[in-house]
Amino acid sequence: MTAKIKEFPGTSLNEQDFSNGKILYNFDKLNGVYSWDTGIGIGAYLASLKNGVILGSHCKTCRKIVVPPRIICEWCFRPMDEFVPLKDTGTVITYSLCYVTWDVQRITDPEIPAVIDIDGASPMHGIMHMLGEIEPQEVKIGLRVQAVWKSAKERQGSITDILYFKPVKEN
Amino acid sequence: MTLINHDPNSPLFWQGELPVTNRYTYGLAGEKFFRTLKEESKILGTYCPHCDHTYVPAAIFCERCLAKLDEWVDVGTRGEVDTYTILYVNLDGSPSETPQIIAFIRFGDGGLIHLLGEIDPEEIDFGMTVQAVFKPLTERIGSILDIVYFKPA
Repeated sequence: MTAKIKEFPGTSLNEQDFSNGKILYNFDKLNGVYSWDTGIGIGAYLASLKNGVILGSHCKTCRKIVVPPRIICEWCFRPMDEFVPLKDTGTVITYSLCYVTWDVQRITDPEIPAVIDIDGASPMHGIMHMLGEIEPQEVKIGLRVQAVWKSAKERQGSITDILYFKPVKEN
Repeated sequence: MTLINHDPNSPLFWQGELPVTNRYTYGLAGEKFFRTLKEESKILGTYCPHCDHTYVPAAIFCERCLAKLDEWVDVGTRGEVDTYTILYVNLDGSPSETPQIIAFIRFGDGGLIHLLGEIDPEEIDFGMTVQAVFKPLTERIGSILDIVYFKPA
């Protein structure tokens, strides 16, 4: 409401109006099934996640290692040379504390998505994933983290085969 | 060595599903139209005295003169087949064993698109009178499918 407008025209509805039959409505579910071509690079990436390895690719000309792997170098536009297995540790480059879920529900314990610079890849090359086993106020840029994997039996070749990244104590 | 060869052990595609659902509320006129259809088995329209036009299904304003409409008329449950089509294919593209007949059934100056039943495709005539067949009262949900189909009157 604004200073001038005390009440907007129209009929306001809440969840009860739907559940107790005060309002009639049509419910519909979109047939949102899709199939996305992974290509060679991401296909190899998903296959190696199933084996518990984060894969990158290497361009010898540019001396770059990128993750996730691509088959064409983004700097010299030439084919990349080889896939390289990377470590499952890394450094938090940036992060966010989310108090709202993807379907707009409020939560008290925030989800913490972060971009993680993976060890073995070129500097500032990383993947986006969740942080876990950490208090929100302890998250810092530069934090050292390690992947927590699903068990080998549960892994199905998906980025969610990594459950989250947890902080590691450096010796 | 380049990476142009696809490893046969790696996936070719990623499959997923977008979880998209929606609720469509019928609006002021639609709410009354479907509520009456559900509870009283009546098809309602609204009449515009200025344009001498009966809207079916009911509309809340006149599309011609934009006046608010509050003259509700019960147009009965019998209408005329204005046009029809015969479907031999299901929604998912598979061939259907029994063809569905979809017709535009005229009520007042408007009408409803609905199914025809209890009729052979050869027997359909343009202008023939058809009668709404309702679901039992207890099974109705306030949808146009509370009418199962229209049959020859």
